[in-house]
Amino acid sequence: MTLKETKGASESYPPTPAHAWWMGLAGWFVPGAGHLLQGRWIRGLIIAAVVGGMFATGLMFGGHLFGLGGADDGSSRLLQLPPTIANLGTGLMYLVCWASGSGFSDAAEYAKLATFEYGNTFLLVAGLLNYLAMLDAFDIAAGRKS
Amino acid sequence: MRHLLVMILFAVLVSVIFGTVARETTRERLFYGMKVFAEFMGIGLALAWLLYFLPF
Repeated sequence: MTLKETKGASESYPPTPAHAWWMGLAGWFVPGAGHLLQGRWIRGLIIAAVVGGMFATGLMFGGHLFGLGGADDGSSRLLQLPPTIANLGTGLMYLVCWASGSGFSDAAEYAKLATFEYGNTFLLVAGLLNYLAMLDAFDIAAGRKS
Repeated sequence: MRHLLVMILFAVLVSVIFGTVARETTRERLFYGMKVFAEFMGIGLALAWLLYFLPF
């Protein structure tokens, strides 16, 4: 593809409306809200149920949420960054747990559970799936998807 | 048995979201979600058997 064609393709995109960013933000903060606010009831409810259910299941399995605080420093703290970003995808649920200090414990009583790693995976993937749903809500609001 | 059930639960939940945000029509979404679920299960079981035969 030539430079001229690339430029032409980018120019043909309509400008992103401001409310698309708000829909994306709403979708991140409360899973499914980005779709619900745009009248996509079924999709919004499915996303809310699945992401919320996955988060609850992860906590029930004894999984723990990642954060940047703690005694680790240097590269150890850096290694906490990717899972923290993944967990942060659950928006309000993560923030509520962070504010109440629940779900962050990786004490031996949780780590010895057979489902501990499953719980971590559920919590991480719940956040990542919500990022996906957030981008979908953004695209719908921007007119790039139906 | 419990591990299999957790894997099925995980595959169902992820497939539902993939099916929900991908494709355009309800029919396409349904088929895509089922395809993703089948891939999760197939690859998961294949890897489980492969690891079963490893001596370490």
